[in-house]
Formats: sequence, structure tokens, C-alpha cells
Amino acid sequence: MTTIQKLVKEIKDLKPIPAIVNQIVAAIDDPNCSAEDIANIIKFDPSVTTNLLKTCNSAYFGLANPVDSVKDAVSILGIDQIIELVLLKSGAKALSKKQKGYGLHEGIMWKHAVSSALIAKKICKKVNLGNENRIFTAALLKDIGKTVLDQFVSGSFEKIINLVHKDGYSFREAEKKIIGIDHGELGAMIATEWNFSTKMINIIRHHHLNDESQRKNNDIAIVYLADCICMMMGIGIGEDGLAYRFHTDVISHLNITHEDIALIIADFSQDMQKVEKLINVA
Amino acid sequence: MKQIVGVADMKISNNLGDSILTYSLGSCIGLVIYDPVAKIGGLLHYILPESKIDKTKARNNPFMFADTGIPKLFETAYQFDAKKNRMEISVFGGAQILGQQGFFNIGQQNYMALKKIFLENQLIINKENIGGEISRTIRLEIKTGDIFIKTSGTKEVKV
Repeated sequence: MTTIQKLVKEIKDLKPIPAIVNQIVAAIDDPNCSAEDIANIIKFDPSVTTNLLKTCNSAYFGLANPVDSVKDAVSILGIDQIIELVLLKSGAKALSKKQKGYGLHEGIMWKHAVSSALIAKKICKKVNLGNENRIFTAALLKDIGKTVLDQFVSGSFEKIINLVHKDGYSFREAEKKIIGIDHGELGAMIATEWNFSTKMINIIRHHHLNDESQRKNNDIAIVYLADCICMMMGIGIGEDGLAYRFHTDVISHLNITHEDIALIIADFSQDMQKVEKLINVA
Repeated sequence: MKQIVGVADMKISNNLGDSILTYSLGSCIGLVIYDPVAKIGGLLHYILPESKIDKTKARNNPFMFADTGIPKLFETAYQFDAKKNRMEISVFGGAQILGQQGFFNIGQQNYMALKKIFLENQLIINKENIGGEISRTIRLEIKTGDIFIKTSGTKEVKV
């Protein structure tokens, strides 16, 4: 079997992300879909509803009166917060495992995913662009390709890191050169297998913006910048370090200044303890 | 005991059984100071160069910025009887993403802010491991003053 055939088999064998994620992502992308429609999707999944209500009633939110229905939860915490919680709960399983090849201890990739997603939302608010919930989800799941590519990275680690340290390759370029595919492309294959929307697949595929033709796509640019900010802050970095490419033109196109970035960093460093708590309850 | 320094955080210890560590410095700076006579060590992990962008945040947490965190680190060490003329100073971090330049290169800005403060206060860096596209985990042993560094893609070594 070739590497690609092996990877395809791995993807087929991957335990899919819960179906509700797909339904919610589709609803977010549909302009005719209301908050009520999304609440209804959640309501008809008993285990997700039970989990959601448990989280809403945890000390983290400190609600005066416990909520006992999705409708109440939405009216008190807002639909965006509820979507966030359902996605966080559903993504945790797929992204929490240790990634040996990338040198990520258990939970580190998940911390990076959640942080990227929250930072991406902050950027959306700042630039007033993009669909916040779609971008949140894409930032959360952008590295899903790493979960499958990990063992291949592990097997060829010396070759990959040599290209990075000695020949000026980015880690993604080195993955592509040595394994024949990078974690963005592989992530897009997984997202396709899971029937994600075309927009979502596209963000996952291009989240390092190596393809110049994608650099004016605001959704991707926001997810990309959130990833860069996480790297700068050292959140969820593994053996790949900060060895990815920085595209100043993308940042300028978003109309973000270095001061805006500094403020987002300062802001998020304050939120980090809160994030740890959120990760534990969600 | 392990004392863990978070992002925008600082720890000082004179307990011989302690080691102070901080995980995964990206563009942030890990500043380690150690007085080998008094056996007092401190580690500051700051994330941004200048507090002028948000004075309120700087008041709430001076360890976020170079210009508020560095003075605080030294002041606290002096309260523990550390002496300026004996201080061994090491600086780590300040990494960048490939091609990150100018004002967007926060790692370099963080390092330059430190250099400026050091110049004004006649402080000298004894050891440093700065820049590049790597992340760094730093550990200081209070008993010996030994510092260990683990960078992405390589094994832990003594500095």
C-alpha cells in the first residue's frame, strides 16, 4: 500500500465526529436558519442535551436558577454560547489524544484548538467580518488532519525536522515533501468524508494559506491569524515549533494592525485561566 | 517542588528543593535571574513589550509586559535579599513565525524592550537563547542555579 492509500484507510477507520456537529455546521451556513432551528437540532439529541444542561448548570456559569431545557439555556446564555458548548463537547474526543509525532502531550492539541477558536471569534468581532460561528468551528477543527498524519510524522520525524532546521522549510512544507501530503490537505479529506460544508472544507485545507489564491478569503485569513497568535503565545506548540510561514499581506488585507494583535494577545492571556476551566467543564 | 510559571506570570523562590519552570515560550520572553550566594532565583514569563497599550491590564497584571514585569521581578528578588551585583541573568524565547518582520515580529520587539531596560539599568545578560522559529521550555534549579532548556525538535540540555 502507498502512503496515500494507507492514509485513506486511516480516514475511513476514524471514529467520526458526532453527527450533530454536521447538522449545526450546516445550519450555521444556511442564512435561513434561525436560533430556534439550531436549538431544535440540539433538543432532539438526548445525550447532547443532557450534557449541555449539565455544563450550563455547572459552577462555571454560576446561574442563579438552574436551566432544565435547551430553550431556557438559549434564552439565558444566548445561542452563540450554546453552539460553542455543543461544538466544544463534540470536538474534545477527536482532538484530545496525545500526538506523538507532533510532540503534543494529551490535551495540548485540544487546548490549542479551543484557544484558536476563541481567538478567531475575537478577531471576527474586531474586524467585523465573517460568520463567527463558522469561523469558531473551523478554527476548532482545523488541525484534525494532524490526528491521522501524526503516526506518519512520527515515522519520518528526523527527515522532516532536518528540512525545517537545515533547509528553511516550514513544517507543513516538510510534511508535504516527505510524506506527500500535509495536515491541511489531509484535514480536508477527513472533513469531506464527514460531509462538512464546502466552505468548512476549504478553510481546513488552506488554514496555513500556502496557496496565494486563497489569501483574500476573510474566513480563512481569520482562522490563519488566530493560529499565528496561538503560536506566538506558545499555546499548544509541539515539536513543529513556530516553523510556519507568516504572510504580512493577509494581516494587512484584514485591516489589522500590530497594536490590534497585541491587544488581542493581552486580552486572551487574561482569559487563559477561564479557558482551562471551560475545557474542564465542556 | 515544581513551581510553574504561566503565561504573563512570575515566580521567585529561595527554597533549595524547588525548580521553577515555564512551558513553551513562543514570542514571549522567559527571563531568569539567580543570585548564587543567597540562592534565590526567579523566572518571569512576559508576552508583550510595552504596557502603554493597556494601562489597566498592566496594573492588574504587571507580568504581562516587559516594562512593568522586569522591574517587578528584580524588586521582588531584592526583597528576598538577592543583590544586583551578584545576579546571573539569562534570557530565552522571543521566537518568530517564518518571515514575521518589523512591528509584527513581537518576539523581536519583546527582546528589544528588555535590552532597552537593561541598558538604562546597567544590567548585563550572562546567557541567552533567543529568536528562531522554535518554542522553548525552561527550568531553573534553585539549589544549583542550573538552567535546562528544551526546544522544539530537540532534547532537553543544560544551558
